[in-house]
Amino acid sequence: MNESYEGQELEGEGQAIISLDGVSFGYDPEHPILQNITLSISQGQWVSLVGPNGCGKSTLVKLLNALLPKGAGEIVVSGMQLSEETIGSIRQCIGMVFQNPDNQFIGATVEEDILFGLEGLCLSYAEMAERLHSYTTRLGINHLLSKHPGELSGGQKQRVAIASILAMEPGIVIFDEASSMLDEGSRNELLGILQDMRAEGKYTILMITHDADEILASDRVLALHGGGLAADVTPAELFRNEELLQKCHLCEPYPWRLARELQNQGIHVDVPASEKEFIDTLWP
Amino acid sequence: MNEKLIIGRSIETGSWVHKLDARAKITGMLLYVAVILLSRSWMAMALLAIFSIAVMASTRIPLKYFLKAAKPLRYLMLFIFIVQLLSVKTGEAVLTLGSWSIYEGGLRLGAFSVIRMFFLITFTALLTFTTTPGKLNQGLEGILAPFKKFGLKPDRITLMISISLRFIPTILDESQIIMKAQASRGADLKELPLKEKGRMLVSLLVPIIASAFRRAQDLVYSMEARGFRMDAPRSQYHRLRWGIFDTIFITMFIVMGIAVALV
Repeated sequence: MNESYEGQELEGEGQAIISLDGVSFGYDPEHPILQNITLSISQGQWVSLVGPNGCGKSTLVKLLNALLPKGAGEIVVSGMQLSEETIGSIRQCIGMVFQNPDNQFIGATVEEDILFGLEGLCLSYAEMAERLHSYTTRLGINHLLSKHPGELSGGQKQRVAIASILAMEPGIVIFDEASSMLDEGSRNELLGILQDMRAEGKYTILMITHDADEILASDRVLALHGGGLAADVTPAELFRNEELLQKCHLCEPYPWRLARELQNQGIHVDVPASEKEFIDTLWP
Repeated sequence: MNEKLIIGRSIETGSWVHKLDARAKITGMLLYVAVILLSRSWMAMALLAIFSIAVMASTRIPLKYFLKAAKPLRYLMLFIFIVQLLSVKTGEAVLTLGSWSIYEGGLRLGAFSVIRMFFLITFTALLTFTTTPGKLNQGLEGILAPFKKFGLKPDRITLMISISLRFIPTILDESQIIMKAQASRGADLKELPLKEKGRMLVSLLVPIIASAFRRAQDLVYSMEARGFRMDAPRSQYHRLRWGIFDTIFITMFIVMGIAVALV
């Protein structure tokens, strides 16, 4: 077992919307998947959850809205302590987008899929119509309403999944490796959607990812290793820490690698935050 | 995606049949099945054919789509025809080849069976072509609602049907991928002898079933993450509305049934 790291709220951030205190979980008590996780996530933060395969990332997020039975420890979401009585209310606060866009398509058409969650909220016809129109327009899928899942590309399916979740207007959106099955173009589209969501300021984003660009775009990184919290750092701190990168099976973002290679060649360049910043540094 | 599969796919043309209440269409189809079983003469078959083609044409869906729906069952229809032809020995012998004879009764019953089956498939395809799966489920739920008193859960039944229909193409696609993966390793199902085919089928079914369970697990997570709880109250975006055309639609089938029974 690795050393346990107690996650902290970053300085200057708002009120905690997710709090975990001593959370442990495992199907077999002798082989726990998660052990003594304590962390807190503030309203409006974009947090990347990283770590090697099998370290418990998906288990952790599934525990947040009780998709898995509760283990030891306390989980508080939007001020509600997770229990049998609060599951329904907590699930209304958390939306989840999963890895495989095919397996999360519930309706036979895009419209039915988006309405599935809204009908569960017992909304009026007018409210459902308004949200259906608003979120499909926002995600550029309003022309696909009558389409079947088989007629959509991977990127379009993932947009439908995101629209289905956002239409339910949760305060917290969790992406469980949502970009891992997408091509480069669709992945960039997803990153764009996430950046728009952050700009709106009303969503707290928790994203399980192995993608360096997505990590770099987030505000904070939680690294899991061997079922414990190994680090709670900023993306820049993560990418400067070679040992942590190796532990999490991650690579540096391309501009960082290039900057390091140039530094090794004796060309002084600062490590950039993005490709654009890197270009501006090289050609001011 | 399995392009050839048209089960559960609606084809929107905005015709009057599309606008009907799903309950009317389901009831109409049930009446149609009864009418088909009642038809026992060539005149009744002709009436049925005219009625069916007229209703199908009024949907403004090209007839080739209806024919496509019957295509996968053409060998079954041929099999039924041959069995009737060889097993029914009533009426006069039409053709004799050595000890084998084909009788007028066999020919007639064989033809009736094929025509019945053909119209049953093509006409019932009308239900899925003109109704989205969501509305179809609502209609079924509406029809089954009176059985709630006897402990039946219509919402559970319709949810099961809709998920099954939704995943048929996905699982077929997956089986194609597994078959191709096996063929690429030298185990081409098409080229194996029958005994080997049976053995290979097991190695095909195991990964498909395992994958179906995995998909089911993911789907449950997705449904629960969207707040789904069994038997919890839900609102409905598309509401069922019974109108005058729904009554006319049902009446058409009743009149047709009476006509077929009389001729």
